[in-house]
Amino acid sequence: MEKPKDIAARLKIAKEKAKKYNQNNENQRSSSLGSAFKLSTEMVASVFVGATIGFILDNWFDSKPWLTILFFFIGVSAGILNVIRSAKKMQKNIEKL
Amino acid sequence: MATNPMHQFHVHRIGPEIKIGNFDISFTNASFFMVTSVLTILIFFYFGTKKRAIIPTKIQLIAELTYTFISKMISDTAGSKAKPYFAFIFSLFIFVLFCNMLGMLPYSFTVTSHIIVTFVLAIFIFIGVTIIGFLKHGLGYLKLFVPSGVPIILLPLIVIIEIISYLSRPVSLSVRLFANMMAGHTMLKVFGGFVVSLGLIGGWLPLSFSVALTGLEILVAFLQAYVFAILTCIYLNDALNLHH
Repeated sequence: MEKPKDIAARLKIAKEKAKKYNQNNENQRSSSLGSAFKLSTEMVASVFVGATIGFILDNWFDSKPWLTILFFFIGVSAGILNVIRSAKKMQKNIEKL
Repeated sequence: MATNPMHQFHVHRIGPEIKIGNFDISFTNASFFMVTSVLTILIFFYFGTKKRAIIPTKIQLIAELTYTFISKMISDTAGSKAKPYFAFIFSLFIFVLFCNMLGMLPYSFTVTSHIIVTFVLAIFIFIGVTIIGFLKHGLGYLKLFVPSGVPIILLPLIVIIEIISYLSRPVSLSVRLFANMMAGHTMLKVFGGFVVSLGLIGGWLPLSFSVALTGLEILVAFLQAYVFAILTCIYLNDALNLHH
């Protein structure tokens, strides 16, 4: 049973099986969970970074609330942009399959 | 103390206090688990690559599977130009994975559930990718912030938005890993506390919940390591092949 020829044949079958399995399974379950986390944190992170930049600039220019408010909203739009971009990338990946 | 779900995240000193200037660099339980995971990785790959048999043993099979898994991921997401960075991404993935998985053991400490650990990893990736981008494209890398086909009036606003979205990368990268690990472990501990307080009569429901949650947490531990590595690849891809 353990002859090399046998192993080659078995390898072939196993490889075909693995190919099928990969196509069906891999790109669905695990990466959809991952992309859900990805989208949500991307949105939050941009808002956070925007507000922080605004806060730092406020401290520099002594213009207390205004720049924080402005950069908060810029951060929100950056977040939306990020989400749209990664959603587009995911769409492309799905269409490729 | 035992019922406090946040108690598991306390960092405490092991051994003597070491101080350099104002910095406390004593050996803590966090450093202990980092060293442990590095040692586990080294031992695992030592035995995994020792024999190099044609018909692999189980441990060799796992080591080779991890290798092909990561190399396929890199070539899929970042192209063939990213080959030189294989070693970095591979070690990153394995380190995060082992830290997450060692945190699943009872009485252990999850290194990646502290934002400073994940943030340091993310900020080094961010700085590294930025340097690679500037080395490959020179000042042309700044084109990343100027998308084509935008009216001149909107340009200043768009550039600021792009810069903020670029700067948000390390934050989103680190917060994702940290939040997932911390939330999962807190939830496990809360349900574990329910089992104790409800006792023999009512404790079975939370017990079954925490069994299911443990399975979910193992999935999350793997998934977050994978996401961390794949996002590094995507950022690297942006730096290597400019699209705009």
